[in-house]
Amino acid sequence: MTDNNDYLLKTENLFKWFPTRIGILSRTVAYVKAVDGVSIGIRRGETFGLVGESGCGKTTLGRTLMRLTEPSKGSVTFEGTVISALKGSRLKPFRRKMQVVFQDPYASLDPRQSIGSALLEPMKIHRIASTKSEAKKMAGELLAKVGLNPDHLARFPHEFSGGQRQRIAIAIALAVKPSFIILDEPTSALDVSVQAQILRLLRNLQQELDLTFLFISHNLAVIRQMCDRTAVMYLGRIVEFADTKKLFENPKHPYTKALLSSVPVPDPSKRRELGVLQGNVPSPVAIPSGCRFRTRCPYATEKCLNLPPPLIEVERGHWIECHYDIDFSAASKVEILPRVT
Amino acid sequence: MKASKPEESQSSDRYGRRADLKYALHLLRRNPIVLAGVTISVASVLLALLSPLIVNPTSWDQQPLNLRLCWNNPIVNWQIANVFNCGGSAVYPLGTDSYGRSLLQMIILAIPVDLEIAFEVVASAVVIGVFFGGLAGYKGGIVDEAILRVTDVFLAIPGILLAIVLIVVLGRSLPTLTIAVLTTWWPYYVRLMRSQVLSEKEKPYVERLRAMGAGDVRILYGHIVQNSIYPVLVQATLDIGSVILTVSALTFIGLTPSPLLPELGNLANQGIQYIFTAPWLILFPGLTILIISLGFNLLGDGIRDVFDPRLRR
Amino acid sequence: MRLYEYVARRLLLMIFVLLALSVLIFYLTRGLLPPTTALAAYITPRMDDSAKLSVARALGVATTSCPSYSAFVSLQGGCVVPLWGQYVGWLENALAGNWGLTLLPGISGTDTTWHVFFSRFPYTAELAIAGAFLTIIIGIPLGIVSATHNNKLPDHISRMVSLGGYSIPQFWFGAVLQILFVLYIRVNGSGLLSANSTVATRCVICFSGVVPGEIARYSGIPLLDGILSLNFPYFWDSVVALILPALTLAITSIGAISRIVRSSMMEVLRQDYITLARSKGLKENVVIYRHALRNAILPAVTVSGLLVAYLLGGAVIVEIVFSWPGVGNASLAAANVLDINFLELYVLVTAVIIVVTNLAVDVIYAKLDPRIRY
Repeated sequence: MTDNNDYLLKTENLFKWFPTRIGILSRTVAYVKAVDGVSIGIRRGETFGLVGESGCGKTTLGRTLMRLTEPSKGSVTFEGTVISALKGSRLKPFRRKMQVVFQDPYASLDPRQSIGSALLEPMKIHRIASTKSEAKKMAGELLAKVGLNPDHLARFPHEFSGGQRQRIAIAIALAVKPSFIILDEPTSALDVSVQAQILRLLRNLQQELDLTFLFISHNLAVIRQMCDRTAVMYLGRIVEFADTKKLFENPKHPYTKALLSSVPVPDPSKRRELGVLQGNVPSPVAIPSGCRFRTRCPYATEKCLNLPPPLIEVERGHWIECHYDIDFSAASKVEILPRVT
Repeated sequence: MKASKPEESQSSDRYGRRADLKYALHLLRRNPIVLAGVTISVASVLLALLSPLIVNPTSWDQQPLNLRLCWNNPIVNWQIANVFNCGGSAVYPLGTDSYGRSLLQMIILAIPVDLEIAFEVVASAVVIGVFFGGLAGYKGGIVDEAILRVTDVFLAIPGILLAIVLIVVLGRSLPTLTIAVLTTWWPYYVRLMRSQVLSEKEKPYVERLRAMGAGDVRILYGHIVQNSIYPVLVQATLDIGSVILTVSALTFIGLTPSPLLPELGNLANQGIQYIFTAPWLILFPGLTILIISLGFNLLGDGIRDVFDPRLRR
Repeated sequence: MRLYEYVARRLLLMIFVLLALSVLIFYLTRGLLPPTTALAAYITPRMDDSAKLSVARALGVATTSCPSYSAFVSLQGGCVVPLWGQYVGWLENALAGNWGLTLLPGISGTDTTWHVFFSRFPYTAELAIAGAFLTIIIGIPLGIVSATHNNKLPDHISRMVSLGGYSIPQFWFGAVLQILFVLYIRVNGSGLLSANSTVATRCVICFSGVVPGEIARYSGIPLLDGILSLNFPYFWDSVVALILPALTLAITSIGAISRIVRSSMMEVLRQDYITLARSKGLKENVVIYRHALRNAILPAVTVSGLLVAYLLGGAVIVEIVFSWPGVGNASLAAANVLDINFLELYVLVTAVIIVVTNLAVDVIYAKLDPRIRY
């Protein structure tokens, strides 16, 4: 799924393992496999969704893309440059093009820094504005752009509500005129009414400034509303990937199916085809052999125990990692067809 | 008294300079003890600054003309009235010391000496703590380990002994005294700053700054240190008193540049040989130390109340 | 990490700390001043040059090939052992248990560093243990009373005591106690010392040396020896002699402990589970002593490691003020004459005590608080 040159950002076989050390000599006894071989490509101008349960490695993937942690293996390519190998000052121009907005609007702003100074700081780091007054003017414009009063530059974060702070965080991210923004659960900490406003703001900004988003969330409804294409992550790997519409209408992986069926449907007459997910997510330290989802999969067979599932394109642009092509659309009886590989 | 959970988690709400100032004033108005602390510490600093104007600062090593040694008499009459008759008069309100100098004047000359050392020690310790403690907490790994091990060495020995050895080896002078006390003091600040930075650097805004392309120096000294330095400054205020206690203890046990030097511990040291004949000689210098140290401790407590959100209710 | 691995790691670190400390002290006492200074205290004008040279050799400062004392004094090449060589020589001796001679008078007549140190050390141990005891039995109740009577009279009194405690100059507090005590003794004639005690004991109020008692020394700690030898007048005198120095030593740490207990107790009393305990109808005493205190005491446990270091350091001053015949008092004399053997032994023994206490505190803390992992 990564052979097109039109990708703004792509990863190839990206790994992030955190070692667990013990003892006097700090022997490494195990690894937390947070990201375990991820290949994705994000097209210019799209909103790419990344969905999964908490602890599945979505945030670590985002941090690794931004080079906030070093990948253990694999590469990240941004605008044709392999940024996963860049060091120090050569990384800085890419820091300008990639920005991130975090989940918690309370903690992601420095409590003792005024909004104006926070907005000017990235401009200073990347030498965006030539004069101070120009920078100030730009800061005011940014605030207006995210729907805040441009006169509030001298205020401090604690004087704003959660939604306003998230707007400020977005304004700071925009200050360096990036082309790519990672939105890491940008609305999860907000009230529902505020969520909708922020999502609308993000969509407008995307159109206006020609931005590309990586939208990380565990909230399926938000993903469905926002994203063009969506990848489902489970225990450090992408298990299903398709256009958002296709993914939601016709999920092919049992995990995706289970995730979708866990969302309440406002129609009591509709029967659930697959129950709520059984059991807990296995520890990322000890990932099950074969298919990593087999411990919770109602369709698991012996094959799933022994063989890691292949990556298959079931339809054009719709990929899954599964041994079987399960037809969920047959309402009452689920058909399991072994796939020829 | 009761604080609901969400309020607790939004404690950053309580930050901000204007709110701090407002709360500080409110606290001062409500809490007479803190007010006393502010008054004492401000007064002692003022007295220290003005002392050369009040007392001729060179008078301390001049041979005094009239020795008032009436108390230096082996036969002691333990009547409080006698003590004060002999010790105090209109000219010598606190009596005279063993060199015949006015004890009050000597105490006034001694206050700036002790305060200056205290400020120098504490300020240097804060600077060292912010630099090395910040570095250790932020960088982690081998840098952290190395800095921690050095502080381990200094914390495994009673500070006073290290100071004694340093003063003996480097020679008895006021700068030596300062260096000796500083040598025993800085590790605490490195530890304190390090632990502050450790918790502060996990906050998401630091991650955001890194993603923005901010360098380590900017993140550490421009943001993390500014947000985590308040406990260090509170400790520094409290430590002004402690440093004065340590310095005066060192001069009291004889590690003084000159026995004539007006320094509070030194003045008390003179007094100890006359402790049963002229107790005011040791009483008043010690009392001065107690009051100044108390003042800064009260002030430190007050500042802590302002900046510790958990204590605000 | 398992417990024994953690302890092993900490003990390894302790060896590093001890080595680094001994280097530091060695460098300070020998490295900063010319080599003749280290010698000065050991030689007398009456010695002839060959005697002086052999002293220099015995101290490991002069090489065996050095021809004469005058050659050593003029720092002739090959005459002065380089500093690291001196250190290695000293370390080899120390590891073999040979700590050399000291310039300080011992309690019982011998003059090897080891004997002098350990004949004095029990006095310091007695003082420090008594100080720790007073700190705990006074400081912790003060903190509890302060927290449970928040902003009432007991709180104010206890806070003033604690504030005063760590604002007061120890040496001065000791002196004031002595003044008051002398007045008391004069008023009451014989004072508190037992009249029928025939043995010479240490003075309660004195500024010059001590008279060594003719008491059987089993442990070297007077209190203990008094009990062991069933000499109760001696025991009583030891207690009386100990009260003032121990109180002086403890006054600062009483303040520190009580404020820590107070603030952690107040923090705990705000918690939901305390409200729950109260709403179950438990008596206030049960709530405080069974539920709150156990959790409030934890922060006090962590500082008790610091407390030991603090008491041992404070003992230097208190011993000087009270002419206490311990090692702290002697260490000042040792520093004044740059008696490197005594200083090194003092520093290393103290460091072992401090490091081991800190380790013990960390282990105990982890046992008390199940949330802590190594």
